[in-house]
Amino acid sequence: MTDRRRINGPPGGTRPAVYASLLQSATGAADRAQRQRQPTDLRKIFLKTGLIPSASGSSYLEFEPSASLAAARANPKSLIPPSSALKLACTVHGPKPLPRSATFSPNLVLTTHVKYAPFAARRRKGHIRDASERDLGVHLETALRGAIIAERWPKSGLDITLTIIEAEDDRWWGDAPDSHDASWGMMNVLAGCITAASAALADAHIDCLDLVSGGVAALVSEDMTGSSGPPRLVLDTDPAEHRSIVSACVVAYMPARDEITELWLKGDSSKAALEDDDKRPGHEALIDGAVDAARGAHTVLGQAVRESIARTVGSA
Amino acid sequence: MAAQRQASSASQTPHLSPAELSYLYTSLSLPKTPIRPDGRSTTQFRPLTAESNILPGTNGSARIGFADGTQAVVGVKAEVEKTTVAADTLDARGLFQQQESPAAAAGDREAQEGLGSAAVSGHGSWVQMSIEIPGFRDDDALPVFLSEMLRESLVGAVSGSGGEDMAGGLKGRLVINKRWHWRLYIDVLLLSQPLSYPLPLLSLTTHLALLSTKLPKLKSQGEEDPLFDDDWAAAQYLYPRSAPGSTAPVTTSQQVRPPVTLLVISVADNVIFDPTREEIAVADAVLAISVARDGGHDGLKLLSIRTIDPPSRLTQPGVPNSENVNMLANATSVDDSAAGGATAVNLATGDEEVSGVWRPRRGGAKRSVLARMVKTVLRKGGVGEEVLEGLEGVEVE
Amino acid sequence: MAITILPPVAEDLGPYQADSDESIGMDSDSDSDVEMTGSTRPHKRPRLHSKNIGTGIITPGEVVTDDPQWMRGHGTYTNPLSTSIIATVAGTVHKTNKLLSVHPIRARYTPEIGDLVVGRIVEVQSRRWKVDVAAPLLAQLPLSAINLPGGILRRRTSADELQIRTFFSEGDLVVAEVQSVHQDGSASLHTRSLKYGKLRNGVFLAVTGTGGSGTPNSSVKGGVGSGSSGAGAALGATTGTGGVVRSRRQVWTVSTANGGGDVNVILGVNGYIWISKHADGAAVASSTTENVSIIRMEEMVSSSIYSSQNDDIPPQTRREIARLAQCIQVLVQSGVPVDEHSVTSAYEASLQVDLEVGDDEDDEDEWRQEGREYLEGTKAQRVLELAMQDK
Repeated sequence: MTDRRRINGPPGGTRPAVYASLLQSATGAADRAQRQRQPTDLRKIFLKTGLIPSASGSSYLEFEPSASLAAARANPKSLIPPSSALKLACTVHGPKPLPRSATFSPNLVLTTHVKYAPFAARRRKGHIRDASERDLGVHLETALRGAIIAERWPKSGLDITLTIIEAEDDRWWGDAPDSHDASWGMMNVLAGCITAASAALADAHIDCLDLVSGGVAALVSEDMTGSSGPPRLVLDTDPAEHRSIVSACVVAYMPARDEITELWLKGDSSKAALEDDDKRPGHEALIDGAVDAARGAHTVLGQAVRESIARTVGSA
Repeated sequence: MAAQRQASSASQTPHLSPAELSYLYTSLSLPKTPIRPDGRSTTQFRPLTAESNILPGTNGSARIGFADGTQAVVGVKAEVEKTTVAADTLDARGLFQQQESPAAAAGDREAQEGLGSAAVSGHGSWVQMSIEIPGFRDDDALPVFLSEMLRESLVGAVSGSGGEDMAGGLKGRLVINKRWHWRLYIDVLLLSQPLSYPLPLLSLTTHLALLSTKLPKLKSQGEEDPLFDDDWAAAQYLYPRSAPGSTAPVTTSQQVRPPVTLLVISVADNVIFDPTREEIAVADAVLAISVARDGGHDGLKLLSIRTIDPPSRLTQPGVPNSENVNMLANATSVDDSAAGGATAVNLATGDEEVSGVWRPRRGGAKRSVLARMVKTVLRKGGVGEEVLEGLEGVEVE
Repeated sequence: MAITILPPVAEDLGPYQADSDESIGMDSDSDSDVEMTGSTRPHKRPRLHSKNIGTGIITPGEVVTDDPQWMRGHGTYTNPLSTSIIATVAGTVHKTNKLLSVHPIRARYTPEIGDLVVGRIVEVQSRRWKVDVAAPLLAQLPLSAINLPGGILRRRTSADELQIRTFFSEGDLVVAEVQSVHQDGSASLHTRSLKYGKLRNGVFLAVTGTGGSGTPNSSVKGGVGSGSSGAGAALGATTGTGGVVRSRRQVWTVSTANGGGDVNVILGVNGYIWISKHADGAAVASSTTENVSIIRMEEMVSSSIYSSQNDDIPPQTRREIARLAQCIQVLVQSGVPVDEHSVTSAYEASLQVDLEVGDDEDDEDEWRQEGREYLEGTKAQRVLELAMQDK
């Protein structure tokens, strides 16, 4: 997607220098990050609301860095951090009156913007939103619109802006870019966006049916030891920790109503290795896994919103 | 602003009156035999006309038209490009060994040095897709969302086992040798503003165009710079097919077809295919489901699911007679007879509703509903298979 | 089969096929691929210096006549330096006494006083609504031109202005009459009659309306699909025009088969159509009170004119409403004018076709039967043939 209104530089661009690690080449695969958690364990989430005073609602979300990152920091083998953790900020502006030129709307008009900071990923992102960012925006809007009670705010608009400060990797940094070039990291980012936006909406006191939270599950085709087998279900995957993700799914889920407002599944989920008595097709198991992950995120979300209320009550 | 709002929701929502929406919803939610405004059954598609190979200047092309006059044209162009080794592939040699060993290397091993295995299994960015819809800027949410959705299933996730990968994903077929590959440009053009959500139309046309896509026959061998046969008649199909005259029987794993993306909506307990714009406007849930034939065995393989924002959430609510100020004036005479209406709980949404009064949908979809929608598509002998069969019929013409 | 994919067929070329006397049967489109290479394209006859007035179809820029005795009408212009009258639209020449005008073959709806139209509210302003009536400009419906609930006659107050959305809101459909036409061609509507007002209990259908000035010369907008082209060939004998035409009755009630009860059809002159369950005003009234005066009854009816709540409509009625809507679609796609007669005969024909088809397909599996109400392809063609026979 090119920007037609500006004169752009050469499409190739420049790439940051990559330092060949002297330490790394000898050990090779040993540096690959390994998942230390159980398949159903989630990473810890840091979530706090009300950090941006000028917005009517805001939140900041951070995933706990994988264990390998902590280890690498303590004992650096390479200058390149082995994996990155998700960090994002969400602001909500509104409800505010629609511009005069807008047509009458009986509902709250929601607009979502998802933007990677230029330095968020290993490769620099431009300032103009690219296709993947717009795509994320649409997903996020779908997820939130199901949760918001839009008719409570007729004729008004609500802007939700998400800035991704640090994005999840799509793969282990050392892997060839093709090992799975599908953007699995994007799915984690979306799940984080949903949870953060939900917290910010609650912070802005917008009527919602429920706190909607995002969760990711994936089928990965290798076990802890690195040998490949039939794909297993893993919740809250860090793509950097797995060599081969077969299929992944992100949901936006409302526990109170047991409803999914957004579902994005891709990859071949038919060969999932489930328990013997589990008769679910692969995709259903995957969706259920993502819902479980979302339930986990929901507990954090509920706690964070409660804390923020307690803070306001305390300071008043 | 307004345009963007429309674009992000499932289609440019026609402003339907609450009475129309209510009528449609009730008709479509009738148990077992919903009544669609045009009398189709739940799984029936609108008839369409299709032809492929219409543009001689392309590698493959197709056109599909609906009876309502909406038409889509797809042209596929291929270019040869040098495979560049990604800079962030660090220490490719060390990696290469572990990459190759489990995956039963498909290519020859002599030119492994210094190359990522991108050269073997292809890369998703080699397929470029752009969708042009009149009335939308090319960076509007709708075209971007649609092209990502179609590309995602086309490129496919291929990390299963062995040779099947090569057949399944499009990207594996684009490899010429370790240093060269094809780059595929798929350009989709909608000839008029879409009258309904254009996804099925675009997907079916893309499918046909890819089926008819031919690449020149390679004359060079191995790792030489590629040299092609300039006889167009000798060109090979990107998706090999079992031509009646051909001598070599095509194995099942080679008989892979590009995926199709189907638009499915659910209204109360019914699952409805190929919805019109009006039908989408009252849907409880809208899903885009991509399927392809499974290479190994019979049946369909699910490639991706995406929810699409149902526009029913943005509609105008109806006013029940009991709350209508214009009827309160003489409410004494009407009181609760015909105008009253019974309050009932809609099982699909869990909201309390007065029958005959439209309420915008709220919330999401239950897992069971989503599972049923997927199942209807994948079912053996179900809609997914029939659509693929129908499309295969076109190439014979 | 869930999906029908047809090979493309050459489009029907209209009047020129009508001239040919070949009998057009069901399979006539099988060889039409061959014919499409321009041999049937209309030949433009040079008419530039003829003394006579051109007949048949004439195109913009063509001289209709250079005889100074004629006056120029719609669809023509004159060059100040010459006496010749030149066409500005493609269409047919019409003579009214000494007035020459060219009526376009296909035209958009232009409102005329007294037209019954169906329109959709697109904008609410402080004292009026803007209504889409398929005309080039939006029509307006002033607050003063509607009936107040209960038929009260009084000036509109600011209270009415404040609750203007409780009468009609964005997206609502209204049936109204064109009260006046402004200089710029935009219409002003009114709903000051019990038969006008908000529409409910049914489905909406948009087809092409009457062209220019009431001549049934409009053609189909939606007839591009090749699914209909087979059917299009079948009406070689008809005029080749379609859409809603101005006729004596724009609104009537069909008593439908299969237990569907009475169904109202409103054919807006502008091509917007509303098909709904017949609301029996008297029945509503008598159910509440035993004996009501006429005035009281009118009050009852008018009290529900701003309701957006649908009555209970049985599935049989819904099915017949869908059938009627399809019949109209079939007529429009094949270019047959839509009026009371053609709609009723198409409806009856579709019932007959259903009987025929029903016999054939007894042994088909169940879901096949489900889609049997869908009119397309050969079935549509058959309906059309039967409907045309009646004519």
